[in-house]
Amino acid sequence: MRIVVDVLIVISIFFAFAGVVGMLRMPDSFTRMQSSTNIATMGVLGVILGGAVYAALGLHEPVMVVKLLVLGVFYIITNPISGHAICRGAYKHGVRPKEEMKCHKYGEDMVEEK
Amino acid sequence: MKKASIPAVISTALICFIFWLLISGGLVALCQGAPDVRNLVVGLLVSVFVGLFSARFFIHESPFYLWNPAKLLQLLFYCICIFPIELIKANLDVALRALNPVLPINPGIVKVPVDVQSEYGQAMLANSITLTPGTITMDIVEEEVPVGEASPAKEGEEAAPLPTKPQTFYYIHWINVASEDPKEAGDAIKGTLEKGVRRIFD
Repeated sequence: MRIVVDVLIVISIFFAFAGVVGMLRMPDSFTRMQSSTNIATMGVLGVILGGAVYAALGLHEPVMVVKLLVLGVFYIITNPISGHAICRGAYKHGVRPKEEMKCHKYGEDMVEEK
Repeated sequence: MKKASIPAVISTALICFIFWLLISGGLVALCQGAPDVRNLVVGLLVSVFVGLFSARFFIHESPFYLWNPAKLLQLLFYCICIFPIELIKANLDVALRALNPVLPINPGIVKVPVDVQSEYGQAMLANSITLTPGTITMDIVEEEVPVGEASPAKEGEEAAPLPTKPQTFYYIHWINVASEDPKEAGDAIKGTLEKGVRRIFD
């Protein structure tokens, strides 16, 4: 049991680390946000699952397991909304991606509308 | 603002009550055979109260659609089997891209057609895409696109305009643009996810 919990938490720490490295390495704000979703998904879900397994098999507290899983569900539902809002808001506010973008359909279509 | 119908209120209250049971520990007490009556009554009152006020924001389509057991099972299958596999694959990809200096990043915004009709389905698919690392949905637009082949124009007549139908498009910021063609990009980003969502909502 202890091994399963440790493996889950180590996995999530690995993904959180990769997310932070990505945030430091990426060139512009949009790609940085992509990298931060790494932390937001596997990083958090690993810890929540590890906690749930520990509460179920180590502490024998079913109430805590259910609460942790519901927490995970709410996290999954609400997180992408904020990511989408930040990304779109940044674009509308005038933050532009670096020049090296391969294609840029959104910009082209937005210019047409104006 | 649309008024809330009574079925919508009931449906919202049911969802609230289920979450109340889960969080307050009422469900566990019920399963152990010692239900806490005061807890259940307070939960019911609060969920009806919340349902009265928030149903009109929460439910815009048929209120009891997702209470159909077959649809509920498919939703569960999507959340447990289809989505996590995509999530783990994309996570590994982005993590390696961040850690390995040799792997290039290749960002761009692509426009992708989506065939899901229901509002909830569209929102769910967009959220699934955003939650997957490497892709963020930036905007949803609906445009009229021509349907079918252009018929050859007859002598002395102008070619008739093609009939159009509304088609939903997502603008997706993608960290590794594999193709700029809308169809191919769509298959690469949301191929299996869209099939799962369509099975639930269509």
